[in-house]
Amino acid sequence: MEPIDIGLIVSGFMLVMVVLGMRVAFAAALAGLAGLIWIFWAKKGYDPSAFVWALTVAVKTAGQVPHSKVSSQALSLIPTFILIGYLAYYAGLTKALFEAAKRWVGWLPGGLGVATVFATAGFAAVSGASVATSAVFARIAIPEMLKLGYDKRFAAGVVAAGGTLASLIPPSAILVIYAIIVEQDVGMLLLAGFLPGAVSALIYGGLVVLMAVGYKELGPPVTGFTWGERLRSLPPAMPIVFVVVIIICFIYNPFGGDAWGTPTEGGALGAFVVFCMAVYKGMRWKQFRDSLMETAKLAVMIFTIIWGVLIYVRFLGFADLPGAFSDWITSLEQSPMLTLVLILLAYAVLGMFMDAIGMLLLTLPVVYPAVIALNGGVDVAAADSAFGVSGTGCAIWFGILVVKMAELCLITPPIGLNCFVVAGVRPDISVQDVFRGASPFFVADAITIAVLVAFPSIVLWLPGLTG
Amino acid sequence: MSGASSVLEDGTLLSRLDRALFWLERQLALLGGLAVFSLMVLAVVSVTGRNFFNQPLPGYVDWIEQAMPLIAFIAVSYCQRLGGHIRMDIVVGMMSGRVLWLAEFVSTAAMFILMVLLVWGTYAHFDRSFDFSAPLWSRDSSMDIAIPLWPGKLLAPIAFSVLSLRLFLQLWGYARAIRTGTSKPVAVPMIEDAATQAAHEAETVSGFDNGEGA
Repeated sequence: MEPIDIGLIVSGFMLVMVVLGMRVAFAAALAGLAGLIWIFWAKKGYDPSAFVWALTVAVKTAGQVPHSKVSSQALSLIPTFILIGYLAYYAGLTKALFEAAKRWVGWLPGGLGVATVFATAGFAAVSGASVATSAVFARIAIPEMLKLGYDKRFAAGVVAAGGTLASLIPPSAILVIYAIIVEQDVGMLLLAGFLPGAVSALIYGGLVVLMAVGYKELGPPVTGFTWGERLRSLPPAMPIVFVVVIIICFIYNPFGGDAWGTPTEGGALGAFVVFCMAVYKGMRWKQFRDSLMETAKLAVMIFTIIWGVLIYVRFLGFADLPGAFSDWITSLEQSPMLTLVLILLAYAVLGMFMDAIGMLLLTLPVVYPAVIALNGGVDVAAADSAFGVSGTGCAIWFGILVVKMAELCLITPPIGLNCFVVAGVRPDISVQDVFRGASPFFVADAITIAVLVAFPSIVLWLPGLTG
Repeated sequence: MSGASSVLEDGTLLSRLDRALFWLERQLALLGGLAVFSLMVLAVVSVTGRNFFNQPLPGYVDWIEQAMPLIAFIAVSYCQRLGGHIRMDIVVGMMSGRVLWLAEFVSTAAMFILMVLLVWGTYAHFDRSFDFSAPLWSRDSSMDIAIPLWPGKLLAPIAFSVLSLRLFLQLWGYARAIRTGTSKPVAVPMIEDAATQAAHEAETVSGFDNGEGA
């Protein structure tokens, strides 16, 4: 049997185990290990006396992966970003943001909805987790909206959709993971997420205004704040601005000259600012310990998938499955753009049943090389490429597209987690109502993705400034 | 997708062992959390030293790379106890009773075999860099300030051994559930629907906002 056949069989076995409920990280690692044993044993012609040798070599090959792959400075961004997110709840930033957004943009039609969108976008700048963002704002924004007579479905939908902004606006854990898997510069990807994230927030805000103009019963604007009241709402929300500026300046210095340090240092300094703020707001050892344990749990969950998938990737290298898949994709007699759109649609379908991180990690080792090949290869110049972007540009652009795609699935049935979270926090709103409320935002996201596909420069402009 | 779930308890030996191991897992998880916090402190010291005292922290990157295995491995069993490793539970979510426990037993057994093999593999990786007769018992060291690498490498087999122990207890729990056919087994993570998971999630992140806004 050829290595490629072993690759296909073992990958099929892995998918069956995943569907049967085996934890994704371990299903990938097991498939990788079993595949390595198989390939090594096949080389010896399945000689029974060589089985122990094949097992030993495979186990030792796989055993190197966990330590050697996780001991990297770039990966240390992930736990730091998670910690910022947990500490932010104790720093009182969520309420401060919502209050400031309400005073500044509440006068618009559907004012509290617009305020929710901008407050979630602002919170996204300290949190990389969509689901958590929705959970927090379901507690803060929905009660206020309902008090003012906002439509229940609309209020819930805005909060569920607003949470998805966290994945693109830096710091985004999922973009760091993407960068590590495809071996691209983490800082570039974080920068690239900023503009599409901001555009998404503006589109959401515009959509709320349009809906409120069209259907007056959705909810009234909130007016009557003086400029003094508006200005006074800013200082409590300032740490967010501070964190954003620090992280950006540590990746790329907008004032000219070198960046101030590494993204890792930027993330850690951001965490320090939020930590000080949380202590100032009254965080004590018990809350701090809870944040640390939650951070440890989420971080280890992500790292386990990373090393698990990398054992599988080690095996894929021996089986040359990614190469075969790339050859097949590039040999298709249809336009590369159509192929890309089909790949993105496949992600949308997959994302309806699978968690975003698991989905990306399991598929990227095979899909990513194919997309790069489709564009014309790693070193292709923008002028000679299929999508009009250079090899590196394509890596960044595709990353933003798949992450946006994965986030889209957080507000689609059947397992759109953001919607379940909102319904979980507000037992008086059914999950069907939340899904219905979020559906206009789904349409808006689909349009955003189409725009990003058509105009890669929106994604690549900011990273391009760094040269 | 499954996030966190709850574990039932009673007075049996299995449940007592489960809680004893959970105590250990909690301490290890806290250690992992403190390692994350130390990354933050290191960066603050490094940046302050470099910019204000012209004195960068020697071996900053080396220390980060040493802290990473602690963060990446040490809480792996804690996460498994709480059912925190993600999975697709659409199919198992439709099962119940003995069929469900059998399916859980099979996937947990596969994990158990994998982890025992990986304890061996990661120990072998550690063993290659450890030497009693070498200075600091070390055959290899980090790039900048030459910290021995073996302690970081040793963390993987240690954490995976604890996880293997956890998986063994869960296998025991599922085996007992298959035998008795109970609907409420102890010492194993229960499958929860999306709404219950969501409620857990909301509880975790509520911070000081809890109860004020709702």
